[in-house]
Amino acid sequence: MSKVKSHKVIGFRSTRLAIIFFLFILLLSMQFGPYNQFQLANISTLLIAVLSITLLTGASGQISLGQGAIMAVGGYSAALLVTRLEISMWLAFVLAIFISALFGLFLGLAAARLSGPYLAGTTLVMALAIPSIAIRFDSFFSGDIGFSVDYGYPPDWLTNLLGEISIEEWSLYVALPFAALSLFAVLNLSNTRSGRTWRAVRDNEVAASLAGINIARTKVIVFVCSSALAGLAGAIYGFRGLVAPSVYPTDLSLLLLTAAVIGGLRSIGGAIFGTFVIVFLPDVIEKITKFLELPETISIYLPALMIGLLLLITVILNPRGSAGALEHIRHRHKH
Amino acid sequence: MLKVSNLVTEFASIKALNDISFQAKPGRITTVIGANGAGKSTLLRTISGLERPTSGSITWFDEELTDKSVEAIVRSGVAQVPEGHAVISQLSVAENIELGGLFRKRQARGDLEIATKDVYELFPILFERRREPAGSLSGGERQMLAISRALVARPKLLLLDEPSLGLAPLISAQIISIVDELCKSTGLTVLLVEQNANTALAVADHGILLALGKVVADLPAKELIADSALRAAYLGY
Amino acid sequence: MNSFLTAFFAGTSQGAIYALVSLGLVLVWRGAGVVNFAQMGQAMFTTYIASQLIQNEYSYWSAFVIALISGALLGALVDLGIMRPLSSRKNSLLLNSQSMRTTIPVIASLGILGVLKALAGIFWAGEERGFPAPVPTTGLRLGNTDLAITGFDLFVIGVVFLTLVLTTIFFTRTGMGLAMRASALNPEVTRLSGIRVGSVRTLSWAISGTASSLAGLLVTPKTNLSPNTLDLLLIVGFTAAVVGGLTSLAGSVLGGFILGYVIAFVNVYSAPENVFLAILIFLLLALFLRPQGILGSKEVRRV
Repeated sequence: MSKVKSHKVIGFRSTRLAIIFFLFILLLSMQFGPYNQFQLANISTLLIAVLSITLLTGASGQISLGQGAIMAVGGYSAALLVTRLEISMWLAFVLAIFISALFGLFLGLAAARLSGPYLAGTTLVMALAIPSIAIRFDSFFSGDIGFSVDYGYPPDWLTNLLGEISIEEWSLYVALPFAALSLFAVLNLSNTRSGRTWRAVRDNEVAASLAGINIARTKVIVFVCSSALAGLAGAIYGFRGLVAPSVYPTDLSLLLLTAAVIGGLRSIGGAIFGTFVIVFLPDVIEKITKFLELPETISIYLPALMIGLLLLITVILNPRGSAGALEHIRHRHKH
Repeated sequence: MLKVSNLVTEFASIKALNDISFQAKPGRITTVIGANGAGKSTLLRTISGLERPTSGSITWFDEELTDKSVEAIVRSGVAQVPEGHAVISQLSVAENIELGGLFRKRQARGDLEIATKDVYELFPILFERRREPAGSLSGGERQMLAISRALVARPKLLLLDEPSLGLAPLISAQIISIVDELCKSTGLTVLLVEQNANTALAVADHGILLALGKVVADLPAKELIADSALRAAYLGY
Repeated sequence: MNSFLTAFFAGTSQGAIYALVSLGLVLVWRGAGVVNFAQMGQAMFTTYIASQLIQNEYSYWSAFVIALISGALLGALVDLGIMRPLSSRKNSLLLNSQSMRTTIPVIASLGILGVLKALAGIFWAGEERGFPAPVPTTGLRLGNTDLAITGFDLFVIGVVFLTLVLTTIFFTRTGMGLAMRASALNPEVTRLSGIRVGSVRTLSWAISGTASSLAGLLVTPKTNLSPNTLDLLLIVGFTAAVVGGLTSLAGSVLGGFILGYVIAFVNVYSAPENVFLAILIFLLLALFLRPQGILGSKEVRRV
């Protein structure tokens, strides 16, 4: 009885949070010019990818450095479907989720046997190898050039409703609903029975298996869910203009991991915060370097330096990320 | 003299050692007995620095050991032979012995050679098998090797954690009698932890009975052997 | 036949470099339980230091030696400044979780990699630069026939061979080497033998830093130098280490040479763009067919 009740409460809470996020970004976009609206669209897209890491690493303790490669799987699936089969973008996105999930299933079956550094290294090799497939089979994947794809035009009913919609606004309207839905899904997942199962596996595999949890199956399921999200993110990310190997470099995988870590690997609020940081930090730094008139060699590398330092400082000072730090402060105030 | 005063060691706020105080006389064997979970191993591990005490103090003659690192404690002449015949099975017998004296290599190379010769004389079987990996030894030989590794450091205080665990009675008696002779001939102080009380108390000067992290009896060994009521209450035999 | 020899010699000299990288990774994994993804970032940084010195008219050899020393220092610094404080945070909630204990150092090493790359970019600009070789990089000739090997290839093979011999002597014949092996196998017994395991661990980082720094000096005359040049080397080195079982020093060296031949033969008989795919397939094969490594015995741990 009480169990059913708690599920309902959780469902309500995650719905509320997803809606708050949706409205918050929307309100924010109304204050912003086109450039920042486009950045908000980026945030919405990348948030989905960061959530896929929070799900994987935060909930199960597994680390993947190849999330960008899975994004490429999603991006290429959607691009191929749209250009070769000429289906609608929306349908292509949904199919990309399933294809990536399937890919995640294979990856998970392989990865279930791996742990810690083995998995990290293997996914890193994957992050490098997957884009090279596009070049290897270039007649099918059109090599370095890739596919030019975009979000198309907003439907008439929306322009009738909202008036003129700029490209930047439209890209936000495409990405944001998916982001809110992903947020809702991840919030629900991590609060249900399966979420608790995952955390048990993360904290102590032996104890979890003694409690009757099938470790291998749990790991595979986590991979499938995480890959589905990453694939969706990759599809939306690619449809900003181009699906090509250069859109999904290894650095993207590392950037996403950074966002998840600095926000706090266990916290979904942290994932949102971390995504804001990785998207807006380069802009902020650029403003500072322009203001200080720093030479170009510094301004190019400063964002990377700051992001690397943030990652290190987070891990050393508070491995639970900024969400953990907030919690700590709140905790102290209570007592 | 080893002096332990009001020692408390906690694991996740459960007191594994709860206000333990006793002394061990130099040049003698002091035997600590107690049932499983009484805190015997924790006591040895706290003395050797592997576990940090919450409060209390440990002194060896005038030296304060309480907050020192494991390495520093070994270097002040306290060697522990941990539970379960702890040798490094991938290394050869000779390498295991060499490891024990490695930290003295620079200051006392000559004495180290003598110490190594001494342990091989004490346990000739180890000399015969010195090139073989320690993992190929029998249980008794492993225990001999673990003790040898501790002895080449020329300790003044030897902490032995259940040396007879898993060994045939005859072999464990042999090992304990070798330790006893060593005590008498070199003035080594021994703190011996055993579940199997009879052999261990027979060679001891003093016996300490632990139960649930507390000292319930601290008596001359002979009296502890004789007190069957006490043993029945705490050890069940 | 000729292309076979080309692949064979290229494989041997590249494999020698991979062996160094793989050895460096395994040293730190055994000694400190960390797979150091920043390793080749450290090597890239010290190679830039050498390059800077050579530009300032220092001789090749003094730059070479200084780069190796800075490799050792940088390795030790990573341990003392980052990894040791991390492992001493035992009361941290996140580190109480089993899987997080291995994950957090991996993340830290990625942070170090990012910082080193950015710093190299800031100090030395981002564009590729060449790096000199101490001996000619042109093909050797025997009488009238071109040999498929250069003088530099021979130099690489010679230097790596010497390094491996010295490393073997260090590990099997010296007390410090024994202490390092012992603390990798059983830290508790080693500490109880009076050995400062923390210092031994720092030494593993330093030796690993030196080995990878050497790899950087040996590979850049062929690949040129940029902040990202050595990324591929890390991937190959990791695969080689896994092929060798990740805990065996000899296995890691053997794995390095195997990878050298695999890549060289793919390059010669197939196409360079297949190399990444070949590495991935080879890695997966190694993980699933022989997770204990080529030299490992059957009972060894899970991956």
